[in-house]
Amino acid sequence: MAVKILSVDDSKTIRLIISRAFKAYDCQVLEASNGLEGMAMATREKPDVIILDITMPIMDGMEMLSMLRANHELRAIPVVMLTAEAGRDTVLRIAKMGVRDYLIKPFKEEQIIERVSRIVPLETVTPAGKAKKRFDDPIKFLVVDDKAAILEQIRAGLGDTNWQVEGVAEANIALLNIENNKPDVVFLSTTLPENTALWLVQKIRSNIKTQSLPVFAMMVKTAMQDQERTQQLGYSGVVTKPIDYTELKTKVARFLKLDASYRYYNQRENILWIKFPDPMTSFDSNEITTNLNSKISEAVDAGLDKVVIDIRQAKRVEMSIVELCFSIVKIAQDLSMHVDFLGNSYVQGLVNQYHETKAWHFFDTEEAAIQFYNPNKSPAA
Amino acid sequence: MNDDLNNVLESAAKTVFTTMLETPLEIDRSNEPFFEGDYHIAGAVGLTGAYNGIIYLYSTALFARKMTSRLLGMTDDEIEGDEMVNDAFGELTNMVGGVIKSNLEELNQACMMTVPSVVRGSNFSIEAVTGVERRSVYCICDGGRVLVEALIKTADTEELA
Repeated sequence: MAVKILSVDDSKTIRLIISRAFKAYDCQVLEASNGLEGMAMATREKPDVIILDITMPIMDGMEMLSMLRANHELRAIPVVMLTAEAGRDTVLRIAKMGVRDYLIKPFKEEQIIERVSRIVPLETVTPAGKAKKRFDDPIKFLVVDDKAAILEQIRAGLGDTNWQVEGVAEANIALLNIENNKPDVVFLSTTLPENTALWLVQKIRSNIKTQSLPVFAMMVKTAMQDQERTQQLGYSGVVTKPIDYTELKTKVARFLKLDASYRYYNQRENILWIKFPDPMTSFDSNEITTNLNSKISEAVDAGLDKVVIDIRQAKRVEMSIVELCFSIVKIAQDLSMHVDFLGNSYVQGLVNQYHETKAWHFFDTEEAAIQFYNPNKSPAA
Repeated sequence: MNDDLNNVLESAAKTVFTTMLETPLEIDRSNEPFFEGDYHIAGAVGLTGAYNGIIYLYSTALFARKMTSRLLGMTDDEIEGDEMVNDAFGELTNMVGGVIKSNLEELNQACMMTVPSVVRGSNFSIEAVTGVERRSVYCICDGGRVLVEALIKTADTEELA
């Protein structure tokens, strides 16, 4: 959910600079031009942070701050004071008012972002027009481990993806790599010598440009106490050794919000095809479910009225798969779409043993389905 | 000559322009006359306390527009008329005044500062009345010229000189 930032400043210039500063983040910047407007806006919108100028007409920042602190609904809202006056008296006066932080003009955009990010976590947004990253994009991995064998294992384990794995053995080299190469995700061994892993994760979290970079702690499965502490130390998650690569891919895809829907959905020959992989992991079923409404709506918008669920690859038909099929059938039928299945005789036999699924119609091949729905089309076409 | 005050003006101009406009600012020691015949803009903030006077930021309207564009990260077409330029120029003046005030405070010369105001027009000049000392720092940045000026009551400055 977007972070709400209220900028209270009589200068439109400062309000514009603040709005621009947070453009790259998932933030909603609200504006008020004096303390009175600021109080009204704060009461209505309950912002997560207020950036408050001191010298303003009608009601200045000090008065607004007093009113905020006297209001039981608003007193907890963190305030960052902004002032052109850096004198000792001003700073002391600000400190006494109990503000969370302050910033002296002139200031760089990075400084105001850094101040706010100390109070609320800021997430970068995908720039408009830029497509969401896909699962098959060349995601950049940085593995920080002083054991070369681990790097080679990870490279081999991710060999079936387009992901690029680079490795370094030392934390200070890793920091340079992060600044220069901007990896998408870091895997950091917690057993680097002299506790340098902790130093590195703290460096990453204290820099506004890297603070939201996903950093996974790599540790042995038995280090349960250490696993529990990782989040407090600034890690995004844990990857245990020996590494389960299906789990690792799932974690990375979820953390980076990679679009994997193309692996399951596609529109072809006036049909929406939904393909179940084998094995069907929790990541797969979650991706199918998450994208179901939007993909069916897209198909309806495109004039399609048929869905074919392809479960030919399923070697086992578990209840979870049947339940997922039911969800698809229900949503599609609610939108007046016709649903059929693709499956070999083994799968058909398994599915048709349930009373509720007896009526489901199966095709053996894609060609049979296409021919059935497009009878005028030549099979060879 | 009060070197402290001149240094404070120079330092304030450099701090504000390099931070907010991300462009280097050089001090022009030639003291050649500025802006003759152009449409001008002057931002002002008042100081009272150890120093009593006014700080001016002075430039051509054309260069003020360019500074606004740079300050707000907008193209020239996106600048919505003079009001936006006035606001931005007033804010730059306010920041220069704020840094001057802070630097003076460090020299144990505490002052209060007024809100900024902006004047624009052609063929006008700012004159000092009797008993007021004028300190001018001529600056060049991003191909344009800016004058930072302090008009300070002499009675307060004599002890510092």
